[in-house]
Amino acid sequence: MSGASAAAAAVQLVGGLALAPLLPGLVQHWKARLQGRRGPSPLQPYRELARLWSRSSIDVEGTTLVYRLAPPVAAAALVAAVLLVPAAADAPELGVGHSLLALGGLLALARFTVCAAAWDTENGFALMGASRDLTISVFTEAALVLSLSVGALVAGTTDLTGVIAGTAGSDAWTSPGLALGAVGFALVVLAETGRQPIDNPDTHLELTMIHEGPVLEYGGRDLALLQWTASARHWVVLVLAAQVFVPHAKDVWLQLAILPLVLVVLCGALALVETLLAKMRILLAPRLLGIGAAAALLGVLSWLIETG
Amino acid sequence: MIGTLLATGLVVVGAGSILSFAPRSFRVGLVVQAVGVALVGLSGLAVFVSGDELGASFTNELEPRLGVDPTSGYFLFVLGIVAAPAVVFATRYLAPTTTGRVIGGLTGVFLLVLALVLCARDPLTFLAAWELMTLVPAAIILVGRHDREARSSVYVYIGLTHLMGAGTWIAVLLLADAGAFGGGSSLETGSSTQIAIAVAALVGMGTKAGLVPLHTWLPRAHPIAPAHVSALMSGVMIKMAIYGLVRVLVEWLGELPAWYGVVVLVVGGASAVIGVVYAIFQHELKRLLAFHSIENVGIIVLGLGACLLLHARGADEWAGVALAAALLHTLNHAVFKGLLFLGAGAFEKVAGSLEIDRLGGLLQRMPWTGGAFLVGAMAIAGLPPLNGFASEWLTLQSLLAVPANGGVAEGLAGALALAALAATAALAVLCFVKVVGLVLLGRPRRSRIEEAVEMPVPMRGAAAFLALACVVLGVVPGLLAGPLAGLAPWPTDDAAGVAVDVPWDDSLPSPGIFLVLLVGSGLLAAARGRRRAAPAPSWACGQVVGPELQWTSAGFTKPLRLVLEAVLRPTRDVTRSVRGGVLQEVRYEGHVPHLFDTHLNRPITRAGLWAASRARRVQSGSLTAYVAYLVALVIVLLAAVRTGAIG
Repeated sequence: MSGASAAAAAVQLVGGLALAPLLPGLVQHWKARLQGRRGPSPLQPYRELARLWSRSSIDVEGTTLVYRLAPPVAAAALVAAVLLVPAAADAPELGVGHSLLALGGLLALARFTVCAAAWDTENGFALMGASRDLTISVFTEAALVLSLSVGALVAGTTDLTGVIAGTAGSDAWTSPGLALGAVGFALVVLAETGRQPIDNPDTHLELTMIHEGPVLEYGGRDLALLQWTASARHWVVLVLAAQVFVPHAKDVWLQLAILPLVLVVLCGALALVETLLAKMRILLAPRLLGIGAAAALLGVLSWLIETG
Repeated sequence: MIGTLLATGLVVVGAGSILSFAPRSFRVGLVVQAVGVALVGLSGLAVFVSGDELGASFTNELEPRLGVDPTSGYFLFVLGIVAAPAVVFATRYLAPTTTGRVIGGLTGVFLLVLALVLCARDPLTFLAAWELMTLVPAAIILVGRHDREARSSVYVYIGLTHLMGAGTWIAVLLLADAGAFGGGSSLETGSSTQIAIAVAALVGMGTKAGLVPLHTWLPRAHPIAPAHVSALMSGVMIKMAIYGLVRVLVEWLGELPAWYGVVVLVVGGASAVIGVVYAIFQHELKRLLAFHSIENVGIIVLGLGACLLLHARGADEWAGVALAAALLHTLNHAVFKGLLFLGAGAFEKVAGSLEIDRLGGLLQRMPWTGGAFLVGAMAIAGLPPLNGFASEWLTLQSLLAVPANGGVAEGLAGALALAALAATAALAVLCFVKVVGLVLLGRPRRSRIEEAVEMPVPMRGAAAFLALACVVLGVVPGLLAGPLAGLAPWPTDDAAGVAVDVPWDDSLPSPGIFLVLLVGSGLLAAARGRRRAAPAPSWACGQVVGPELQWTSAGFTKPLRLVLEAVLRPTRDVTRSVRGGVLQEVRYEGHVPHLFDTHLNRPITRAGLWAASRARRVQSGSLTAYVAYLVALVIVLLAAVRTGAIG
């Protein structure tokens, strides 16, 4: 293993497993600043994780193994996703491959377990969030696959390290394909990270919750696992955005060096979007994601016309 | 050696079938059937692995011949892996009454007919077996149920599969006429004979497979059959249509034009999305599962369409991958759909009916059957590390290869199919979260379920076996995917490995994903440790969560219903009864109509009945009139021959 590839693996593991909570923390921090509040420090998610980890989980009366296993399984699915998404073009294979088409399955597994657990608790608010989350995910999944396939087509492979290498440099950006894919992926990022205008991560009103809804009944270490899962989801989609849909260098060391910077900028962009936009009507969210999917489809079309 | 094993298996199934008719040997007969069909499946697998041909090869003559080749062998394996547990399940599921015995015996006949379709080597045997395959399950359904609804469903089933199924006859007879039954004569690409055969096959076999818009018989016929027969119908019978399509479109017709591949992609994508969307709004578990069969056949046909399109574009290696995707999903769907139908049969036993809003709490009461059903639900939802995920991944890969191999229109069709499959997978997750929640989790929604107990060993064993198959096929899909690509009549890369590889240097290391998920969740569950706090009730703003607060299927799917309102056209009916100015009662009724029934089938049925009533006028019943008709016909034919119009 070369030095660059070892460094890429280190960034991927340390960043995805340990530093992921920093990403939602940064968004919260800057969002507060943009709104003229002092707000919590970017390290707040760690404090919350520490507090939750010190408390016991609680069972809901009458629940089964499905409720108890949902947090570890969802977290394990995101661990696999973190191992799957490489931090740079030269990242080594960590046992789960680098297939971008497998990513959707891992995210769906996390969603399935948590939403099934909502049925187990019989909590109406949890189910409301679950049904909305699953409805929106239909459109997110289509947009995710389409926008990632633009990257795959440009690079000529679905292996993510190959995609990162194939979209590096300025050549990939001389045609509109990748840019249109980036539009689609930007909406996927908003949906997968549960940000406004699709979902409001700060809400304390059960009736308006989407991603927060299904986890309502969890507490203690269970909730800590689920909160880590949510921040790992930030890491996965933001790294993909940074290394595929943002112009990046061909050199692996440079890719790794710039990655933190791009991630910080993307968090800032999320904070800005959250500040500028209000949450939209839930039934309009599929339309927005549909526009994202259509943009990505246009990206595929422009690539086809260009190479055809 | 393998041939002897196969023949023995078939004879044993036949013997078991006869034994099952007799009251004293009913259960023994079913077990014998299961042993026989397991032998058939194993010998099919052996033929597939060895790659040899046994018995006669294909002929265009109309003389009965039987034989097996690797493609038949693979489908015999699909038959065996579903049928053996299904028949074991039936030993306890069926009561040894007259009805139960006749169903048990006919099950064996059904198995033999399915094997005959796969072993037929001449047009006549193939068509005879094909028709019997439609008729035997119809007979089984009518033995089990005599009510008006069942009779009308069977009528629609037989009517539709025969009217549209004429396409199969046309395709097979034209193939025999062109000397291409079994390949051999290479038809010219785009010739009218080739296109006529391809279209007729898609209509005829597509009807049998349940492809949209020819699917309306499927959700009527599958749910009313006994559970193990439903499993065979959904798991194996509709796969025979896939077998036919693979034979005709991929093996025998040579290279089809690219536009035909696009048509197949469109049909497959429409079936996948429409099937799963309607499945979500069903209220009866077996009907819901039947709609999912339409979805999964759509996914299989997406793979087939990609195969035809890629072959037409000259990307033969990719076309082999797409064929492997379609065939792998055929097996995977057979396994998890068989499992889900067997589970549904077990739940029907304890709950009395399968109305989805009136089940619940079955996982706690039936941990084996319920746990197996949960695995099946996750597999059909396409979740890693189970088998549905592996074949959907491979299908996605082959669809993405369509744009990668050029052609603007074809590429766009491929990209749209890709999006459709991604959305289908997400919709299936939504649907099976709902099914798992309403059937297995929460509290029982009907008092009968309170006393539910686990099923006897043969029933839960059958479900557990299929659940295990879901896991194994999900962990090592590469063992089958490689050789499956080799079934294509053009040279492909058919190396078998544990992981699934695709030509552009990507692979699905499924064992690695399985291990990470298993070890990861195990470690995290261990790290979480024991619970110190006492269980607490669920939070409902301080209210007690009583039965009236429980969520329903309609509530859970409401967001999707609203999003798709313009397409689905749901109806709602609110009636208020007011007495003396005081509101007494509000009744709400919502319904998602099956638009293919109301907007397609009903007008066609009406037009057909109208035409029949006109035609009846010439049926006077008098013999002289019929003789006059015949004379007129002969004169017309003679005149046509004379003028050279025919002959």
